Amino acid sequence: MSKRQRKIVTACAIMALSLGITPIANAMHIMEGYLPAGFCVVWGALCIPFLVAGFFSIRNKLRENRRALTILAMSGAFIFVISSLKIPSVTGSCSHMTGTGLGAILFSPSAVSILGVIVLLFQAILLAHGGLTTLGANTFSMAIAGPFLAFAIYQICQKLKLNRKVGIFLAAMMGDLLTYCVTSVQLAMAYPSESGGVAASIVKFLGVFAPTQLPLAVIEGLLTVIIVIGLETYAMPELKSIGFIKEQEVR
Amino acid sequence: MITIDMLCYYSRLRYANAMEKFTYSVLTLLFCVVSRSLAMALLVLAVNGILTVRKGGIPFYRYWRYMMIPLAFLIISTLAVIVNISRTPLDAFAFQIGNYYLTGSYASLYKGVQMILTALASVSCLYFLSFNTPMTDILSVLKKIHCPDLLVELMLLIYRYIFLLLDISFSISTSQDSRLGNRNLKTSMKSFGAMASVLLIRAMAKSGALYDSMEARCYDGRLKVLDEQHPPKSKEIFWIVIFEGLLLIFTIWSKLK
Repeated sequence: MSKRQRKIVTACAIMALSLGITPIANAMHIMEGYLPAGFCVVWGALCIPFLVAGFFSIRNKLRENRRALTILAMSGAFIFVISSLKIPSVTGSCSHMTGTGLGAILFSPSAVSILGVIVLLFQAILLAHGGLTTLGANTFSMAIAGPFLAFAIYQICQKLKLNRKVGIFLAAMMGDLLTYCVTSVQLAMAYPSESGGVAASIVKFLGVFAPTQLPLAVIEGLLTVIIVIGLETYAMPELKSIGFIKEQEVR
Repeated sequence: MITIDMLCYYSRLRYANAMEKFTYSVLTLLFCVVSRSLAMALLVLAVNGILTVRKGGIPFYRYWRYMMIPLAFLIISTLAVIVNISRTPLDAFAFQIGNYYLTGSYASLYKGVQMILTALASVSCLYFLSFNTPMTDILSVLKKIHCPDLLVELMLLIYRYIFLLLDISFSISTSQDSRLGNRNLKTSMKSFGAMASVLLIRAMAKSGALYDSMEARCYDGRLKVLDEQHPPKSKEIFWIVIFEGLLLIFTIWSKLK
């Protein structure tokens, strides 16, 4: 690793360590102080390769076109705002989108990983969702696992020539579901059950969060489709400028 | 509109040196998470409460309400830790359901209390930072600890634009509400989608305008902003060192035990 990269890794590790414990307010943020120190470090370390890759991809993009900086910043602010707004919900609880599935489809999963960390950091500091020491774990579930799966599913659906809206719905929903599963696994690994170990614990955590998270995933999928329909109707030039539509035309 | 952001500008500790505040809260947080001891969690909870409410002048009811936010998550996930389903009852409590028991042990009850207190104490560290330090100060600290320029710059821009976009989204939702746009699930889904897509369109237009205006002011790939200088006070540093030293000794002691 070069000196610069090492610095980046250190900064990531410091942030992951310091931001870990915040309340899980609505989406699946693990709250500050909830994970033991060892797990905070491990999850933070797992994120680093993705973040470094994302960082360099952003930097290269900026070298080509500096205008991309403000577009990226706006996308980050957009993801933050979308994930901080209350969305309609069936269960009556107050729920939020993760917004990362949409981000991954519109921008790219590697850019979303970097924007995701920033958004999670802001959510921790400004909204008290998530936390500094759990930043690593939250980043892994919400800014890496979810977006990458969403992007992969979207691409597969495109290859299969499935209806694009169906593809977007599946991508956003599965991204959300994966986030929820990963978070449950993270919690379960940190707190294995006394009778049955990690596996039993995973089932328990999946169980307690299922009533809120399953409907939320479907709603997130539907909303993502509605948003993309709106964008395709009114915002062709903007979609081109972020590279979403060009992709379609090539195909 | 973002309550924490508004409150931190009113805080009396706002002009204390940002690096001091950052170091204090991050170190305390680390010790809390590493030691996971009940006594330390209570101590940190008390110290942070006093610092934020008495010294910082954050209204108590606000602080209290924010401390309650994590409770819902805490209770749900701690239940998942305490309650087990097994064929043999454990020592603390057991409810029989058919052949199985809904049961828990004293060890896990203790662990649950420990988790809740540690988490609350850690949250209070985070709150100390966010209730008393404006985001721009936190960003300047990140710059000082050599976070890459590109990231800090991106964060600065994102932070600025969050408020702009929130403003747009609030006025759109208000007008949707006034036109009965959220009267049932179907319309509210439609309204939310419409609002979000318009938001992205506006955001993209703004980003173009922003870049043009930055270019017009000789933007060369680096945003240079003057930081306000609030030099650290030796008295504050003294107390921070004493407190963190105490926590360090306590952490080592609790690990050796």
